[in-house]
Amino acid sequence: MNFLTIVTRSLWRRPVRTSLTLVGIAIGIAAVVALVGMASGYEKSVVKQLEVLGIDVIVSNMEGGMMPKPFDAKLQDEIRGFPNVKKITSVLMRMISVEDAPMMMVSGREWGGFTWDQLTVVEGRMPKDEKERVVVLGRLAAEVLKKKVGDTVTVEIEDFEVVGIVDGKSVVENGAVILALPLFQEVSGYEGMVNFIDIQVPSEVDKEATQALCDKIQKVFPEGRAVMAKEVVGTSQGFKIARAMSWSTSLLAIIVGVLGVMNTMLMTVFERTHEIGIFLALGWKRRRIVYLILCESAILGLLGGVIGVILGVLTCAILEMTPAIHGLLEPDLSWTLMSRAVMIAVLVGVVSGLYPAWRSSRLTPSVALQG
Amino acid sequence: MSSASPSDANALLFEAIELKKEYDDGRVPALRGVNFKIEEGDFVAIIGQSGCGKSTLLNMLGTLDHLTTGSLLFRGQSILDLPDPAAYRAREIGFIFQSFHLLPTFTVVENVQIPMFGMPWSRTERRERAVKLLDDVGLSHRCDHLPLKLSGGERQRAAIARSLANEPAVLLADEPTGNLDSKNAVQIMELLDKLHEERKTTMVMVTHDLEVAGHAKRVIKMKDGLIVSDNNSVEETSA
Repeated sequence: MNFLTIVTRSLWRRPVRTSLTLVGIAIGIAAVVALVGMASGYEKSVVKQLEVLGIDVIVSNMEGGMMPKPFDAKLQDEIRGFPNVKKITSVLMRMISVEDAPMMMVSGREWGGFTWDQLTVVEGRMPKDEKERVVVLGRLAAEVLKKKVGDTVTVEIEDFEVVGIVDGKSVVENGAVILALPLFQEVSGYEGMVNFIDIQVPSEVDKEATQALCDKIQKVFPEGRAVMAKEVVGTSQGFKIARAMSWSTSLLAIIVGVLGVMNTMLMTVFERTHEIGIFLALGWKRRRIVYLILCESAILGLLGGVIGVILGVLTCAILEMTPAIHGLLEPDLSWTLMSRAVMIAVLVGVVSGLYPAWRSSRLTPSVALQG
Repeated sequence: MSSASPSDANALLFEAIELKKEYDDGRVPALRGVNFKIEEGDFVAIIGQSGCGKSTLLNMLGTLDHLTTGSLLFRGQSILDLPDPAAYRAREIGFIFQSFHLLPTFTVVENVQIPMFGMPWSRTERRERAVKLLDDVGLSHRCDHLPLKLSGGERQRAAIARSLANEPAVLLADEPTGNLDSKNAVQIMELLDKLHEERKTTMVMVTHDLEVAGHAKRVIKMKDGLIVSDNNSVEETSA
């Protein structure tokens, strides 16, 4: 018998209560893993999309939620003449409900712009020109909408023929409905408006020069912002909101977990007053009893954390299959996130055990022996 | 360890001077000025009616409770000045309780090992020592049983083995036969006699049973928180 035997034996004396506490922590940690994994996955998929499209600078409006507010497309003509602008194109992108999919990215792209270049036709063809009233679907979008070439898809109020299925090499691209910019401007009521201007700079242009370009654009578009693609995730309001929401919801779940473990450990200390009295009478130091209680709560945290991570991964897998999420984002379940979640759970356990441990250490042996 | 050797015989182990203990902010006096000395190798019985303060006195000796005033010395050092009361309880004191106080979720051999945590022994050494102690008290065949599966007499034997875990200088027994039938009570007292004879361990035993007290070499009688007699036998005390 070693110290760990005493710790685990104490925990499993009340298997139902210990299991329920584990479930409580596990749900909290699962929420952390799922929410943060989803938010992080969304960020990563956008970064991947920007990389695939070869975008170096993004110009957008400051206002708006997940998608920035549209602005006058004429800004593009002004920027086109700026130094270090190799290619420039504009996009009207909206997250809207498309048929049975409650949230889907619809991307209206300037005809001939470089954002069309990375799309590979998997089936069918590309639109002939910007006037042809057709769409192409990303692979995942086709799967979610259950469409094939030749079918029609309703965007806003108009039916469009699906002429091609494309692979865009990123989750965001593959989950999108893509059509020519003027068509989308027309059906969405944003004629002459875009919400992104994407810029490519020559490969030899360094970070400082790219930043100088951003600053120059900022001067002619003060109500908007021009940022380097690599920094868009860190500066975007939408990402900040998503990140804050995922962490604040996680924090609530963690607080619930702390209260659950603390309740269990307090009950344990109250119930085990007599046992603690025996330990004290047999010469156990108070700090060893504190250590015993803290180890018990830390083990509860550790087990809850591991179960929580497994639950979180399963939750993400299930969420990914739902029509609302499928094709829109891919959770980022890194080892860092999972190990951090387990560490949070252990910390939850230890913090929750502090007060009960302190209480147990203050017992007078003769009183504790009476139970 | 600290068990008394023949050369230590008659060395002063405990000395109480005007020892007082009050509960409930002085409203309930339990000990009202107790004076005594206990030498190494003594076998002392403390007798008296319920509430006379004998268990309180035992708790003071074992540092399970704090004294209110007066002084209590262990080997010349005040109990209050002990640098580590837990280490004192672990190394110098072995407790035997009326209701055994065995931990129900641990086997008998595991219960005996509980006081050994903190001693510089490996896991294997702890187990070997525990098995040996259980053998000494005639309980080696019950090592891996849970306390609930044992008879009252066997539980007290297990508790006695546990009290000897760290070879203490003193055994403090609080009504060691109080929860046992007469047959088991006799066996337990024979075991304590044997341990006292063989190990020369100092024993301080609280009891209200004069027959049990008859095993001791010295009998202290208490009444209302005071020592009323201190004799060499029950007969002298009763006379």
